[in-house]
Amino acid sequence: MGLKRITPILQHSLTPVSPVFWQLISVALFFGLWELAGRWPISFSFPPFSDTFLAFGSMMADGSLIKAYFSTLQPLVIGIVVASVLGIGFGIGMGLSRAIEWLTLPIFIVLQAAPMAALIPLITYMYGIGILSKVLAVAVLATPVIVMNSYKGIRNANPSLIQMCRAFLGTRQQEVVKIILPHAAALIFTGLRLGLAMGFIGIVIAELLITPTGIGDLITYNSSVADYPRMFAAIASIVIFAALTIHALERLERRLFPAEMRGLGNGG
Amino acid sequence: MRNRIEKALVTLFVLIGLLVAITGEASAQARTKIRYALGDVISIDELPLLIAAERAKARGVDVEITAFKSEELATQAVINGQADVGQGTPYAALQKVTVPIRFFIQLSALQFFPIVNKESYKSWKDLDGQEIAVQGRGSGTEAIMILAAKQHGIKYKNVSYVPGSQVRALALLKGNIKASILDAANKNMVLKEAPDKFLVLPLGNVKASDEALFATREFIDKNQAAIRVFAEELIKVNRAINANPKWVLEERKKLKLLSDLPAKMEGEILPYFEEAVQNGVFPNDGGAASAAQNDLEFYSLSGAIKGDNLKVEDFWYLAPLKAALANVK
Repeated sequence: MGLKRITPILQHSLTPVSPVFWQLISVALFFGLWELAGRWPISFSFPPFSDTFLAFGSMMADGSLIKAYFSTLQPLVIGIVVASVLGIGFGIGMGLSRAIEWLTLPIFIVLQAAPMAALIPLITYMYGIGILSKVLAVAVLATPVIVMNSYKGIRNANPSLIQMCRAFLGTRQQEVVKIILPHAAALIFTGLRLGLAMGFIGIVIAELLITPTGIGDLITYNSSVADYPRMFAAIASIVIFAALTIHALERLERRLFPAEMRGLGNGG
Repeated sequence: MRNRIEKALVTLFVLIGLLVAITGEASAQARTKIRYALGDVISIDELPLLIAAERAKARGVDVEITAFKSEELATQAVINGQADVGQGTPYAALQKVTVPIRFFIQLSALQFFPIVNKESYKSWKDLDGQEIAVQGRGSGTEAIMILAAKQHGIKYKNVSYVPGSQVRALALLKGNIKASILDAANKNMVLKEAPDKFLVLPLGNVKASDEALFATREFIDKNQAAIRVFAEELIKVNRAINANPKWVLEERKKLKLLSDLPAKMEGEILPYFEEAVQNGVFPNDGGAASAAQNDLEFYSLSGAIKGDNLKVEDFWYLAPLKAALANVK
């Protein structure tokens, strides 16, 4: 039980000066510069922040933004679910079995490095232009990072704990369920978070390159009618939405898995 | 001895270099460059443009064509001043944007074919409450389908946007979509691949621009001579094609245009131009005022441009075309 008393080195620390203050300053500075750049104007198709914000308001009011998110999130959520099941499954399989590792690791390493946008025409060619292609674009982009994290999580299980389990005549099943999997949970969760980040990239690429729906449609259409404030509002909204979602997951991760668990595991 | 030869050689090269630079500079001064933004892949339907560009080059106007991913990007390039002349029909954008941009010549009229899967639909009436696929929101293809729906008193359940005639053609062949609208080349391709599966629905007379050229008023005013030369060549090319579609083949060979075209597509050139000439796609007079007027009606019906009392002058600047027509009569 003494293991639990080891000091958490990586504990999240807060600076003494209120960080919210500096964060607000930074945000205000960014939007201020944006406003200036738009009013300059650096380009006729670059709207100032105020116009963009008004456009955002009107798109929220007329429901077009909410409708767009509804249709963008469908393939994203399905794709992430598919990627999670496949990714965690393969990752754990690869971590536990040398044979599966030997067979599938190269595929995921290649997929991780493959430029997704280049694969889109191939996906469209094989799976058409419907939601299936978009789900696939999300899954293909998100799966490798989930696989690699799960795999590393399993592989990084503390060897002394595993040896201890064996010393106490634990079965392989007990070793996996009681030591390796709980230990890997934190890294698997990190994989899911990074996978979702990749999923956001995938869905926006898919909506811009396959067929314009949801946010992709708002961007394409407003660009085609030269309604740049609305176009920028759509772009900014998806960027902020993705950033907030990922940030929320990161906080959840910190709460669920205290720092010592990442380093030591709780099998003691 | 060797050192001397080397020195002499270096001097010679420097002199040649200077000479080339000077003459290059001189000829560049006499030439005008038009940065042309094309929102499409360069393909057989761009042959008239490519021919006209070559001929303008011979007259001192270098038309430098850049192919963009989409018409929106091409239009944006013109708005931002990264390109001088754009191709397409971005009426909605022109109405909205603060920079004065005007169309000045029509290259071709719309020529599209509503096409349906025979097993599902047989006529316009069957499309009532059904799903169709068009190029994009506010596009010419959508406008045609909406106009036809109005004429036949029907309403679609859903209009989905699938950019690229070729993509829609493939989707039709694979059965992903059942009703769509294609350009001539892809309609022919679909009918050839699956002769018994598809049906082209009849379309009333639609007279609106498919491709027109636009530029900022500033650019047009500053480069009147170059625009006039380019417009003259475009008109001459259209006239030559209308007189004899085979002319395109001869010119392509002579100027070595699209030399890497696969043999299969090479065979599609002549039928494409014959059909287009038959349908009156290429105007002999650059469209002129009538094209402008037709466009305003068509694109306001389609919803691309909004408001009443639309004036031709707010979208078109006809003086360059008039000047060019005066020269090619």
